[in-house]
Amino acid sequence: MQVSTKWLKDFIDIDCTADELAEKFTMAGIAVENIVHAGAGLEKVVTGKVAEIVKHADSDHMFVCQMDVGAGELIQIVTGAQNVKAGDIVPVAMVGANLPCGKKIVKSKLRGVVSNGMLCSADELKIEGDSSGIYILPADTLVGVPAAEVLGLDDDILEFELTANRGDCFSVFGLIREAAVLLKKPAHFPEIKVNEDAGKNAADMIKIKIDAPDLCSRFSARVLTDVKLGPSPEWLQKRLEGAGIRAINNVVDVTNFVMVELGQPMHAYDYDEIVGKVLNARRSVAGEQLHTLDDSNRLAKGDELVIADAEKAAGLAGVMGGFETEITEKTKTVVLEAAAFNAASIRRTSRAVGLHSEASGRFERGVNEKATVIALDRAAQLLQEMGACKVCKGIVDIYPNPKPAVKVQFTTKQINDRLGTNYSDKEIVDVLTALGFKISGNVATVPDWRNDVTLMEDLSEEIARIYGYDKIPATLPKGSQQGRQSKTQNFTDKIKNILAALGMNEEISFAFTSVETFDKLQIPADSELRRAVPIMNPYENPLLRTNLIGSILENAARNLSRKNEDVRLFEIAPVFFPKSLPITEQPREVLKLAGLIMGRREPKGWSQNSAEVDFYDAKGIVEELFAQLSILNYTVEAGAHYALHPGKTAIFKKGREILATVGEVHPAVAEAFGIGKKIYIFEADIATLIKCTAKKFVFESLPKYPAITRDLAILVNREVVAGEVEKVIAKAAGEFFKGVTLFDVYTGDRISADKKSLAFTIKFQSGERTLKDEEADAAFKDILLSVEKTFAAELRA
Amino acid sequence: MINYFAMERQIQQLRESAATMISAASDLKELDNVRVKIFGKKGELTGLLRGISQLSAEERPKIGKIVNEARAQIEQLIADKNAELKAQDLQNKLASEKIDVTLPGRKIHCGHLHPLTLTLNRVKEIFIQMGYTVEEGPEVETDYFNFEALNLPKDHPARDTQDSFYITNEILLRTQTSPVQARTMQKNPPNTPIRMIAPGRVYRRDDYDASHAPMFTQVEGLVIDKGITFADLKGTLDFFCKQFFGESAQIRLRPSFFPFTEPSTEIDVSCPICHGKGDCKVCHGSGWLEILGAGEVHPDVLKMSGYDSNVVSGFAFGVGVERLAMLKYGIDDLRMFFENDIRFLNQF
Ligand SMILES: [Zn+2]
Repeated sequence: MQVSTKWLKDFIDIDCTADELAEKFTMAGIAVENIVHAGAGLEKVVTGKVAEIVKHADSDHMFVCQMDVGAGELIQIVTGAQNVKAGDIVPVAMVGANLPCGKKIVKSKLRGVVSNGMLCSADELKIEGDSSGIYILPADTLVGVPAAEVLGLDDDILEFELTANRGDCFSVFGLIREAAVLLKKPAHFPEIKVNEDAGKNAADMIKIKIDAPDLCSRFSARVLTDVKLGPSPEWLQKRLEGAGIRAINNVVDVTNFVMVELGQPMHAYDYDEIVGKVLNARRSVAGEQLHTLDDSNRLAKGDELVIADAEKAAGLAGVMGGFETEITEKTKTVVLEAAAFNAASIRRTSRAVGLHSEASGRFERGVNEKATVIALDRAAQLLQEMGACKVCKGIVDIYPNPKPAVKVQFTTKQINDRLGTNYSDKEIVDVLTALGFKISGNVATVPDWRNDVTLMEDLSEEIARIYGYDKIPATLPKGSQQGRQSKTQNFTDKIKNILAALGMNEEISFAFTSVETFDKLQIPADSELRRAVPIMNPYENPLLRTNLIGSILENAARNLSRKNEDVRLFEIAPVFFPKSLPITEQPREVLKLAGLIMGRREPKGWSQNSAEVDFYDAKGIVEELFAQLSILNYTVEAGAHYALHPGKTAIFKKGREILATVGEVHPAVAEAFGIGKKIYIFEADIATLIKCTAKKFVFESLPKYPAITRDLAILVNREVVAGEVEKVIAKAAGEFFKGVTLFDVYTGDRISADKKSLAFTIKFQSGERTLKDEEADAAFKDILLSVEKTFAAELRA
Repeated sequence: MINYFAMERQIQQLRESAATMISAASDLKELDNVRVKIFGKKGELTGLLRGISQLSAEERPKIGKIVNEARAQIEQLIADKNAELKAQDLQNKLASEKIDVTLPGRKIHCGHLHPLTLTLNRVKEIFIQMGYTVEEGPEVETDYFNFEALNLPKDHPARDTQDSFYITNEILLRTQTSPVQARTMQKNPPNTPIRMIAPGRVYRRDDYDASHAPMFTQVEGLVIDKGITFADLKGTLDFFCKQFFGESAQIRLRPSFFPFTEPSTEIDVSCPICHGKGDCKVCHGSGWLEILGAGEVHPDVLKMSGYDSNVVSGFAFGVGVERLAMLKYGIDDLRMFFENDIRFLNQF
């Protein structure tokens, strides 16, 4: 909705600027999005008459003018224009003017002659016209008046962004009603009266039917004869232009004008083209041809409301008229329609057709069905005043179920209790009355144009917005409650903090994925990870993700492509698994953690190690995370994962629960994501981690007696895994065993190729006394025997 | 034959030469050589002492005293010189250890929480302090909870502004975290007081550009109790904005329309960049930035979830976390949040 302030000023005295008016509207809930000042930059431009013009003494192309700008004294202006002569009236930019073309006017000297302004061309004022010289105004133009007024540019266009509830403000009258309350000024609405001079009865000429009363609650029509089609008068064209509507011809222009003025969309039919002289508001028949006025043939779906004559649908009601009955130069007799169509139906149809018009926008917000006949009268009156028609007697009006007035019960206390205010009975009644409500005791009768008010709560908003939301006090709710987060939320926050402390950056990525991503990840065809939830109307990727690995690899690849080589990322987010396919109920949402590292172990620096991270860095992050989460006594074994290197995949387990999977990304997967480097990732399930966290954390006191350590270096076959050796050591180490640390792994020239050397430090300690060396030696002997037996290990010298 | 006076003179000469030698010693080794030269087995003083036996009984104690004095004096000179040379040595050592302190320190890989998490954490902190619980709900919602329970029936024009990703005609990616309101109310016995926020990801089928994303983060808030007023809403959000943006932050309420609240308001906060002093790219010189939608809960919304609007009332609000983060950190492109460029993430 947009409208010029001049149109509003026809009906109410507005004594503030357009900006102030817009602010008042906005702060009352009638949001003005934008103000277009048509005359911006013309504030210091006035009309002036050339009283005297002489050649500049020192220039062969400049003239010195003495200008009458209605100030009593003449002012001197030097111009280079060649088309000005004495007696011409022209726009004069005075000193201080800041023209639309960007020129700022200052007092100056041109070759020694003082110039106190500038004579303007059309181009300098950014108006239409011949720009080869100064813009010459008509000879009868008043002198000394603002040029904007003379040029018709003293107008401001208000562009409204109306909320869905205020259909009534989709009209000049609606805005005037609001402005009258906000400015506390009376509104002067025009007198609407028609002289029914055609000598015929409308009811004898046209029959109106409503076959779909659920989609059309009222259908009113007038018949106009002796129609003289032609252009509208200039004032009406100007009004429409201000409202952003193109002028077409007087009949169509008047229907548009009345739509903007009253908010009631109208349609004009060529009476002679209506077959059977009947108009019926009915549902379309599926497959029916609709020939609309854009000359396209549309196939009806069967639920649209159409206006049909005896033979065919003559248009999509409220959305687009029909081709055959359109007003043309041959039109002699016109049927004007003003109807109330179902908002939801119009909305569906206009979306389906992809056509949002001024009319459909108004129907979608709901029109005032009481006012259809007023709109017909107003349109007939305007056309009659233009001498463009004669008006038949009567309105053909089908209104099967007149809407009763809405009555709302309220008390002053209820309204104050809702708002937290202290308005008096009178203050409340005053506002409601000004807005057109009729108050009788505790009942407010809602004016027929306000379809958004049905409850006391709605009345409270009227009071609040008219007195101003700034007048509402600011208080805090009484009472109190204990604030808290859930256990899962706390746990998730904790994981994020730990991982950040371990050098990982948190990422957030979209929840969408695609089959191509599953392919890139090498997810097997029969995996449940491919059974993803499909989106009916996707933006790009059509599925909801079933894992976070795809996202984290995409983020790594993006970083790498931007030359960010050292990347450490993690994300905690839900993934989605359907309970059935096709989807019949909400999918399972499972919270997952994924992490990724690649690049240097230490940041690049003048004295830093430039080695790259490897599998054990990723594993170490998971181990440290688990230690801090009190996830204890888990096992780690080699395993398999669709996206990981088959020889570099570890599964962290606790009983049957898989706590985490860590590994090097399979080179083929990395390559599919465009990554040519080694990347290591881990993933875990948050619920499983919560479940496997030690129930309570108990501090372990520091030892009172010293520990004894023994180092064990053994040669074993290369296939023997360290984890198994540690298990055997722990089992054989006896009652004082306190822990084992693998401190060296060696393969190479100094030992045979099929062997590796493992070196452990084994710690013994007692809580009651200082151990004797012999006790440690005895335990060490047992350990040695056991590893020799189990792994055919040899003690290294 | 050594006589007393000659000896006395020799001692005096030794004193003088010792003082000269000690003073000339340039390092500890040289000083030690001087000490040996004087006090060693073949040292000068040792040599002198051997001559004492040739003196008379009366002369011996006298000379002995002079010798002891001389010895004490020389030892003191050596000790002083020793201390001096040691101090000098240390100084030399320290001087030789000088490093270029302008070289950068050794870097550590530090991790960072995502700016949206940091912003959300701050929002949660403020509301938890005020006694709010943090509630959650599914991201894939039913049409009922996402729209209908919020007074947005099918074909409501307000649905136009929230283009949804549909899974089926009845299941969609939630367009707001407001459905958690209805879920929380329906979980409770009727009219149970509520103070909650519901943070989470929401989805709208918008083009992906500097100010729109198909997925973003929202915090919904709901307070229900006896006698909760629109003024309480204003006070609560004023407090929130002052906590989040600083004590000088002001709020401005503009009437608006949401189907689930009545009265409804949009809330602007005074521009944290220019403080309303105009010529500002962020607020376009208006001095205000829209950050919140809010209102008193519509009686139909209470009713649909088993609450009675004659007994309790409440307010609800929704705020975009991206918007808050952009204002707080001066970020001008929403896409930065989802590109996860580590040069961006490392700044928070
Ligand atoms: Zn600003």
